[in-house]
Amino acid sequence: MKIGLEVHVALPTRSKLFCSCRTDAEEPNTAICPICTGMPGSKPVLNEGALTLAVSIANALKCKVPAATSFVRKVYFYPDLPKNFQITQKDDPVGIGGEISIEQGKKVGIRRVQLEEDPAKIIRQDDYTLIDFNRSGIPLVEIVTEPDISAEDELRSFMTELKSILYYIGIDIDKELKVDLNISVKDARVEVKNVTGMKNLLDAARYELQRQEKLVKAKQEIVQETRSYSEKDMHTVSSREKESDEEYGFIFEPDLTVYRTKGIKTAEPVYASRLAREYAKKYGVGESTIRELIMFNKESLEMIESYKGKHDMKPILNAISLLQRYATAKPTAATFEKTVGLLEKGFYPDKEAILGIESGKKVEAHAAAGTGEIDKEIKHLIKENSKLLKEYEKNPKVFNFIIGAVIKKYKSNPREVSERLERILEGFKR
Amino acid sequence: MNSIREFLDAEKPEGYGKRVLEELSKLNEKLNAFNNITGRLGEGMPFSVKDNICVKGVETTASSRILKGYMPAFNATVVQRMLDNKFSFIGKTNMDEFGFGSFGLNSQKPARNPFDENYVAGGSSSGAAVATSVLKYHVAMAESTGGSISAPAAFCGVVGFTPTYGALSRHGLIDYANSLDKIGIMARHAADIRYVFEMIRGQDPNDTTSIEGKYASEDRKRIILVDQLVNGIDKEVESSFMGLVDKLEGMGYKIIRKSVPFIEKAIPAYYTIAMAEASTHPASYSGFKYGYKNEDFTQHYNQFFTSAREQFGEEAKRRIVLGTFVRSASVRDKYYSKALKVRSLLLHELEGVLNEGFILSPTMPIQVPRVDDAGSLTPLEVYKTDIMTIPPNLCGLPHVSFPYAYHKGMPLAAQLVTKQWNDEAMLGLVDGWEKGFKYRFKYNIGELR
Ligand SMILES: [Zn+2]
Repeated sequence: MKIGLEVHVALPTRSKLFCSCRTDAEEPNTAICPICTGMPGSKPVLNEGALTLAVSIANALKCKVPAATSFVRKVYFYPDLPKNFQITQKDDPVGIGGEISIEQGKKVGIRRVQLEEDPAKIIRQDDYTLIDFNRSGIPLVEIVTEPDISAEDELRSFMTELKSILYYIGIDIDKELKVDLNISVKDARVEVKNVTGMKNLLDAARYELQRQEKLVKAKQEIVQETRSYSEKDMHTVSSREKESDEEYGFIFEPDLTVYRTKGIKTAEPVYASRLAREYAKKYGVGESTIRELIMFNKESLEMIESYKGKHDMKPILNAISLLQRYATAKPTAATFEKTVGLLEKGFYPDKEAILGIESGKKVEAHAAAGTGEIDKEIKHLIKENSKLLKEYEKNPKVFNFIIGAVIKKYKSNPREVSERLERILEGFKR
Repeated sequence: MNSIREFLDAEKPEGYGKRVLEELSKLNEKLNAFNNITGRLGEGMPFSVKDNICVKGVETTASSRILKGYMPAFNATVVQRMLDNKFSFIGKTNMDEFGFGSFGLNSQKPARNPFDENYVAGGSSSGAAVATSVLKYHVAMAESTGGSISAPAAFCGVVGFTPTYGALSRHGLIDYANSLDKIGIMARHAADIRYVFEMIRGQDPNDTTSIEGKYASEDRKRIILVDQLVNGIDKEVESSFMGLVDKLEGMGYKIIRKSVPFIEKAIPAYYTIAMAEASTHPASYSGFKYGYKNEDFTQHYNQFFTSAREQFGEEAKRRIVLGTFVRSASVRDKYYSKALKVRSLLLHELEGVLNEGFILSPTMPIQVPRVDDAGSLTPLEVYKTDIMTIPPNLCGLPHVSFPYAYHKGMPLAAQLVTKQWNDEAMLGLVDGWEKGFKYRFKYNIGELR
């Protein structure tokens, strides 16, 4: 089974890719000009900020960035395409041959990263159609993977990694995510086009995998074709269309030039996933806890980096985690220090305790009582079932019965209990 | 001769501007030089604009029915710079639809030659050349893709200058083939062209391909005759052209003959690139945002957008089909990619030749044809008449056409080509020529006594 993706992500530039129209207009057709509506006589002018962002992405995905990059016209007719062609890249994209490491311990190849313009938005009504050109010319980056993904959980991991890497470049993948999926269970390649949003992507992949597997089992032929995903019915349908490069008639975009990438300065990419693994090992804190902290949270990562080496990191990490979960406002230095202080003394503040710290109350006694007892109970139950500790290495879920027991007894928050359990078990492992 | 200075210095009688435009409008009924005349002529030197160059709020159609009613929301950069320099815009000039043509006949109302209406004006900047030939004080903003300035300037007996690619901003130009399109200038004298060129050239943030050129002014007093451009042409054209060569020799130019066989590849390479690029545009003229409007909203997508296509002329349809074909994946390497290679090889070869001096040839291999005769030529025969104008256009090299003789009352013209950014020296040669040769005009509308 092979899955390859073409992921389209909108870049958060202030103006569009080839004109100075804003990218954040809400009322339809208010951020438009002769260029992004394709008026005769207008000429595109590249937004260098978008090029810089695209190069940042290519770098972060470990691509080779060619010394010069250029654009082509992809010619096809559709009412949302005001010039009758899309300016995109073909032979000299901003990035080629990169990779992303995913949790399953494998690498997914990145074939290419290219910069292109978004078409306008078509809004279909019952008996008429509207076109909103605000979206026309919004910069997009298309990330094309190799068909290296071979299971649904790998797809999920891949998207999480990609999302995190892009998050640290300042790009919110969920803002406008559009994916073409290439899925082949056997030889025939089926393309599911224009799937929007993370949830639909996973649903569409699952459906299509099952559909093809069923056909294989029934010894039926899988047709090589393009399909589309219906969000409403949660299944894919054949779109009976064949688009090939033949019909796009690519030519070099003669209104633009060749752009040097050499002088473009980009920030060092951040691989939160790798950092989480390193921190977990170094500071003896659960990897999942740290992942949760830093995969999509710059502030947490900055806080960790600022304490690195100066402190015992375990209480620091726990404090960040707790404050992130329970604090009602951005934690002040005092709140942070108090929380760390409690943790260093061996207390583990709960929600009430954090709220208390925030409002400046004395909380030590409460925090100690509230959490100490629960921990004691958990430790007690583990010791009672200590023969399960061996099995725990292979199956981390063997102690999950404890969560239920504790919740029943103390009416505590399941998530908190499960975390305490995880942490205490970490202690037992060592 | 600098008619701009002469015009600005002269005392204009009361009602002068109005009278000029009235006379022009009347003559226009016969010659079809203008698609529209605005009816305003201020203090400034009059200038006209080819109908594929945008003027804010003035109908701009590139002589196509499909763009009827298109009112640009902005001025082309060259137009803006002319206005900023106090020139007076007087109207949009006729042309072959989208620039597709060599004789000016691919227009609903073809422009006529001012020397004799039975003859063609040349194309595609037909109206620009006619306007220049009939107005005493005037410069024309024209445009050339493969010879659209040289050809009509030659047939109408005016000076037609096409600068180095990138010297004048294309912002505001309705595309024919973007990598070949160049805005240029027509006038009655080379000095007027130099004046305007210096004023409006230079890098423009709205056109990525515009350049702040490193201009040279190199005249090595040598003229190169390329065998492939002077042999096998109309006998009358050939013999009178040799008369010009003798005169230039008398002006101190050394004449060198050279064979450049590769230059014959220019026509197929040019038409391949031009049509490939041209065919990417017209489908956007789909009849609902600007220009021709399809009001029948009960149709389906395909029907709705296909109906607009009926507005295209014959030559436009031919180029869309051919251009789409040469871009398609299965033949792209055979045609489009190969044509790009020919272009860069030819540029390299011509640069070598031009380092020695100017290339001189007749502008057209034929005398001015009668409308009836030109109309009965096959497309291939028409394309072949571009043999002299295509090489410099394909390679983005500056060139200028200027009259050097009159035969049976019709002008004959020659074309000079020079290396990139040596535009001024080339215009200087024409300026020198004008000191010993008086151009003839049948009309002198706006003459000041
Ligand atoms: Zn815009």
